[in-house]
Amino acid sequence: MLVEMKGICMDFGPVRALDHVDLTVRSGEIVGLLGENGAGKSTLMNILAGTFPPTAGAIYLDGKPMRVESATHAARLGIRFIHQELSLCNDLNVFENMYLAGEVSHLGVLLHKKEMARRAAQVFARMRVSIDPWTPVSALQPAQKQLVEIARALLFESQLIIMDEPTTALSTHEIENLFVIMRELKAQGVSFIYISHKMPELFEICETYYVLRDGAPVAHGRFADINDASVTEMMIGRQLAHDDFAHKPSYATADVALSVRGLSGHGFSDISFDLHRGEIIAINGLQGSGRDMLADALYGAIPRTGDLLVFGKHVRNSAGIIRHLRVGIAMVPRARKERGIHNDLSIYDNTSMGYLNTRFRGLLIRRRAEAARYARQRQALSIKAGTPKNPITSLSGGNQQKVILARWLETDAQILLFDNPTQGIDVGTKFEIYHLILRLAQSGKAVLVFSSEFPEIYKIADSCIVLYLGRINAILHRDPAQGEELTEKNMMYYATGANLEGMKHA
Amino acid sequence: MPNDDAKQQGPDSPTATPGQGPGHALAALFTWQRMRGYAKKLLTEYSYWLSFVLLLLIAWYTNPYFFRWNNISSIFVQSATTTGIIALGMTMVICAGMIDISVGAQVAIISGFCLVALNLTHSIWVALAVGLGVGLLIGTVNGLLVAKGHMPAMIATLALQSICRSLINHFGQGGPFTVADKADFDLFRLVAAGTIKIGGLKVPYPLILFILISALFAVIMQHTKLGKHVYAVGSNEVSARLAGVNVGFIKIAVFSITGLLCGFTGWLYASRVMAVAAASAGSQFEMDAIAAVAIGGTAMSGGRGKIIGTFLGVLMFKIINNILVAANVPTFLNGAVSGAIIVVAVLLQNLQGSKKG
Repeated sequence: MLVEMKGICMDFGPVRALDHVDLTVRSGEIVGLLGENGAGKSTLMNILAGTFPPTAGAIYLDGKPMRVESATHAARLGIRFIHQELSLCNDLNVFENMYLAGEVSHLGVLLHKKEMARRAAQVFARMRVSIDPWTPVSALQPAQKQLVEIARALLFESQLIIMDEPTTALSTHEIENLFVIMRELKAQGVSFIYISHKMPELFEICETYYVLRDGAPVAHGRFADINDASVTEMMIGRQLAHDDFAHKPSYATADVALSVRGLSGHGFSDISFDLHRGEIIAINGLQGSGRDMLADALYGAIPRTGDLLVFGKHVRNSAGIIRHLRVGIAMVPRARKERGIHNDLSIYDNTSMGYLNTRFRGLLIRRRAEAARYARQRQALSIKAGTPKNPITSLSGGNQQKVILARWLETDAQILLFDNPTQGIDVGTKFEIYHLILRLAQSGKAVLVFSSEFPEIYKIADSCIVLYLGRINAILHRDPAQGEELTEKNMMYYATGANLEGMKHA
Repeated sequence: MPNDDAKQQGPDSPTATPGQGPGHALAALFTWQRMRGYAKKLLTEYSYWLSFVLLLLIAWYTNPYFFRWNNISSIFVQSATTTGIIALGMTMVICAGMIDISVGAQVAIISGFCLVALNLTHSIWVALAVGLGVGLLIGTVNGLLVAKGHMPAMIATLALQSICRSLINHFGQGGPFTVADKADFDLFRLVAAGTIKIGGLKVPYPLILFILISALFAVIMQHTKLGKHVYAVGSNEVSARLAGVNVGFIKIAVFSITGLLCGFTGWLYASRVMAVAAASAGSQFEMDAIAAVAIGGTAMSGGRGKIIGTFLGVLMFKIINNILVAANVPTFLNGAVSGAIIVVAVLLQNLQGSKKG
């Protein structure tokens, strides 16, 4: 199926979100759609998938103009949009999810479960994955859930599958597997539109690219003709100084801020390390390595055993989050939408939340003090926002994250934990956040960054603790004189536990 | 507020051409764009003001005596001695993302106990203390069940509702609680019926109490840590916990405060009716309080809502009753009216929500 979008414009009130965008997807083609957050990628895809009609422009299927009325209509036409947040019902089993709202039944009443399971199994066979259609979805790994979403698309004979950042929750191995399946389907004539912020993936799986910037088409062509740096430049419209980080000095001092000894808990065990003032340590590990759990435990959000010392003083293991805040630990949590922001609250209130819980010692909150706090952080972090009384959801993802950062900077915490701080954030803002983290270290804060991305870790970290199956598998150093060097190859080697495999065979 | 609107208009707004003298500045305040901004804000964020004014007009039309001071003050007294003060607590509970359907039964048991205490001690203040104490106790049990027992608020408060109602029926043995002593009767009656003269107007105590307590709660919700935390918990409990909010404490606090307000209301209510019928006292109060909160624009899903909205909501509710009485609608239909009001108010909220999204 040949899908063409021509001259698509989309206005949200006075804001033009898309400005004459063209996009063509041929049968069996994988198209990469690139752009910063807010560039209009999701809007364009929502139009294609029938979520809302465009203000102007038209969609052609195999040359015929077509109005896509709704998501159901799009599905009937063979177009399916797999959203970033998976939309599976955990309590139903695999085939029930796949057939949700399209159930096969006897005379329209009783469900024909066996038939549905059989057809689901057929699709899995076609994808060459082994998932039992009768498994409850809650028992599946994130990667398998992603595959179920794709299988659902194939079940209804989709010709074009739109994937919005499908790999954020997947490990390297799982991503490879997904790509094998995508290539297989491509050979069968299924086409894909692939949205991602991860360059290596785009270069690996996509043939053609389309770049959007501020709702306007900037460039399109073949990935073979471009490189990483030029794509970034097209997306943000200026040259980013990657080199800024190449000779990053270490600000680490001899002053130990956080000392962890034999820390264990659900999903991790026997973790020990020292974090100094001015030092930035990254903690890396794949899904299931206990990285998330360790982050939560250091902050008192989940139970732990072992010793945690802040500036030489013990913090009781039974102490709650509030106690950890008071001794000067702050955490920017992962999954901003679910764990960071308060949707209904204003930008003011979202900013103030950390300060109120740690340093505020009054009865009445003064508007003026609140405004002053916000103004200070807005300038320091260059938050782009209209009225601070508006709900935080009026901001883009990057600016929301900056508000969450502001929340913790106002607490004056000396130890900062950043859990996946640049998740779903555009490149420009990512770089701003890296610079901010470096500035914080320079000013004497101790920083821990939990991350899965090597480019991110390499830009900021002095050293990197690599977790494997809940234990420290290696500590890599930026300065090769101090120990094993921090390189992407080393990181992957230890993160996948390859060294331990080797020992077994030896 | 108007300034905020102005900023949102953006550069293409015709108002963004400053420096043409004060006359133009005044005119600029009333340009089409800005008027549309005001209108939008009025329709969405401040819709309760609009409904309030509309209702006043209707009330005036159906009842020419509506704006007489006697009528106005009786609306306030009715509000304060029934669901007005409770609705303030209910606003907190709903803003925190929960609900309390035990308030009616709480008022019943508390007002009964108030009269028993009065008969035993001959002191209206002991009666008040008993009321507040029992209310605080019941509210805290509600809070503990929800926060520490991890029960859905609907179920926990439903259970307490049933327990309270059953206990007061048992103690009352079917008959009403009354005041035995004539001197006690005359004194206690004054709590709800007493007035002070302000500028030639007889202002009843409950009116003053209702306004003062509402103002207090408006300050609590907008300008204290407790208030901010209530909104935070209702908006996103996980984020609130990770930001260092003591979620359990907040949940217990909102129920305890509501219980305390029920205690106060029970005392006022007992003073107004003077004979508390165990089976019917405070019946439908939970519905009326929730309805008042709903028309006041508080989101039933939590996280958003204002005390001023609830304050107006309570008055609107009584005004509607006032209109119905003037129109000779049987009082048995009151429940139908409050049910219908909740449905309409929440439907309107959803409509606004979907427009925004």
